[in-house]
Amino acid sequence: MSIMQYNGGSVIAMVGKDCVAIASDLRLGVQSLSIATNFQKIFPVTDRLYLGLPGLASDVATLHERFRLLTNMYTIKEEREIEPETFAQLVSSTLYEKRFGPYFIEPVVAGMQKTPSGGYKPFIAATDLIGCLNFAKDFVVAGTASEKLFGVAEGLWEPDLEAEDLFETISQTLLNAVDRDAFSGWGAVVHVITKDKVVTRKLKGRMD
Amino acid sequence: MDHFPTNWGRPRNDAHDAFNTYPLHQRPAPHTDTFAEGVQRTQQPIVTGTSVLAIKYKDGIMMTADTLASYGSLARFKSIQRLHAVGESTVIGASGDMSDFQYLQGLLDGLVTDEFTAGDGDALGPAEVHEYLARVLYARRSKMNPLWNSLLVGGVKDGESFLAYVDLLGTTYTASTLATGYGAYIALPLLRQAVEGREATLGADEARRILTESMRVLFYRDARSLNKFQIATVTAAGVDISEPIVLDTAWGFAEGIRGYGGQTQ
Amino acid sequence: MPDGSFAHPQERQFNPYSENGGTILAIAGADFTVVAGDTRQSEGYSIQTRYAPKVFKLTDRAVLAVNGFAADGNMFVKKVKQRLEWYRHAHAKDMPLRAIARLIQTMLYAQRFFPYYVYNILGGIEEDGSGAVYSFDPVGSYEREACRAAGAAQALVQPFLDNQIYFKNQQPPAGSSHPVHLPLPDVLSIVIDSFTGATERHIEVGDGLEIFVILAKGRSTQGFDGRSGVQELSTTPEGDRVFVIRRELKKD
Repeated sequence: MSIMQYNGGSVIAMVGKDCVAIASDLRLGVQSLSIATNFQKIFPVTDRLYLGLPGLASDVATLHERFRLLTNMYTIKEEREIEPETFAQLVSSTLYEKRFGPYFIEPVVAGMQKTPSGGYKPFIAATDLIGCLNFAKDFVVAGTASEKLFGVAEGLWEPDLEAEDLFETISQTLLNAVDRDAFSGWGAVVHVITKDKVVTRKLKGRMD
Repeated sequence: MDHFPTNWGRPRNDAHDAFNTYPLHQRPAPHTDTFAEGVQRTQQPIVTGTSVLAIKYKDGIMMTADTLASYGSLARFKSIQRLHAVGESTVIGASGDMSDFQYLQGLLDGLVTDEFTAGDGDALGPAEVHEYLARVLYARRSKMNPLWNSLLVGGVKDGESFLAYVDLLGTTYTASTLATGYGAYIALPLLRQAVEGREATLGADEARRILTESMRVLFYRDARSLNKFQIATVTAAGVDISEPIVLDTAWGFAEGIRGYGGQTQ
Repeated sequence: MPDGSFAHPQERQFNPYSENGGTILAIAGADFTVVAGDTRQSEGYSIQTRYAPKVFKLTDRAVLAVNGFAADGNMFVKKVKQRLEWYRHAHAKDMPLRAIARLIQTMLYAQRFFPYYVYNILGGIEEDGSGAVYSFDPVGSYEREACRAAGAAQALVQPFLDNQIYFKNQQPPAGSSHPVHLPLPDVLSIVIDSFTGATERHIEVGDGLEIFVILAKGRSTQGFDGRSGVQELSTTPEGDRVFVIRRELKKD
């Protein structure tokens, strides 16, 4: 079994109308043994930007700390907070630095991007474990349930969902996908990001 | 007295002391044991033919294969026929092992003869020949003793044209353009672009030109191919397999190629 | 590594199996069953043909979908059909669905040590007139279900079906409950959405879609008679009826 499946876990992000959502399961396992049901895989980077890190649990911790350092350094140097698109490039180059001895993580980025006119537009992106970027206009998935997430999301997602509808769509997608995945599940967390607030909800899911 | 009941009623084996406890004595195996001789039948192809191409067109089907039979990378036989007529309305083309193909020709010719001697006026059409080949090849793969070929079967019977594929696993399918081996990667996209949707209007000259150009492309890119090939045509009028056609080739462009070694600057 | 030279002795094991892609699915309704499959046949990255049926009508009340190694699949269907014909000659009637299911399990398990590399889904109408789906693994384990997906895109389609057919993770409005069986138009929409979704994200799925609809005796064609590309396959209009709906899927 690959290291990518060692701890299990999945993340998904979706674009809506003037909003984005990012969600993950809460399982931490060691192969088929479940260890914890409250393992955080999604981290806030700024008020409007979240980062999901599914993959090897030790690398989740390492990369979380590393991106905290890098974004703090960015804020100090630039005297402003990092934008989602810039951050996605930072994620990509950080992973590619370790091209031949990679972190076993497939990051997902979701946030509201500042536009030149002063507004905000939804932004999502995902990379593979060596930083190959995928800027999708609809949804991105990662982790052990990625195939299932693709299947359900392709069936449920539609353009221009309002925040509440986007919440329902991403929740249903995640829950039904992880229920068919042995390495993901045990509860979920969803963040819906709009330009002026983030709504975070914990979901109860099947605990088997 | 032999104290080992398992040996009772079996031939004696004096190569060891049957009364000793160590080494454990060998029980004489029954002669009917399938695995006794460590059966060696999964072969590998030896003398091989490369791609076969075939398309449907207005009047029936057209099939082509070059005349080379290779021995590894050696161009061993340069005038082998890989297209074979079966009865009055069918042609088959073979890539893969040529001896297996010639064995199949023998089977099919026997089959056609049997059908003729029945004297009922029925003849095998391309669909029947294809079904028969599929059964033979699937049965042989199921015995783990395959006939190492990819075959195309084409023909016209009762006004219906037929074109199908069958290989050493017994896998079958039909389409209006087919290719085996390297041809499936290099020629099939060209054939699909030229033929699909035009099967009912495509003339014989145009069909021949499409196949000839595809064979030219294959000759330039497939190292196990030859610029000498035959074209088989099956129409309501019957089967025709052409004399070998030799393509003119030009290698002048090779002078201009840089970056694959060989040149010094 | 086999490098084509004769320097080292070469050992090459013949592999009697291959994988030919594609996906199948079946959903049972109260008095109908829908069985569907795409028509692409592939090996590796090559599309062998854009039309190779994977769903077959067995009787006027039974349809079988086979997916996996195409040569095994075709041979298996051929043998099942032969057994059903023998049954017809012996009993002067079609074999009931649950008996076909048990027959398939026996035939698959008979090849336990050289299996048919095929996932089977059997759909049709039970003797009591209810829609039924039976799904099998390659060596004959089987169960009756309301819906099942199998094949290359099983992982994409099955959780979607859990959600849309079984209403998994959905709370019914207060004081009501989820329907046990969906009406035919809803089922057809879900089947089409499943395949367009799978086509979008799986390279081995696409080209064409064949949806078989089996209607219980006496049930009207209400639900799909407005649709284009419908063809009736049943031998008699009285009794159970079989229809096929053919649609295009993306070819890339």
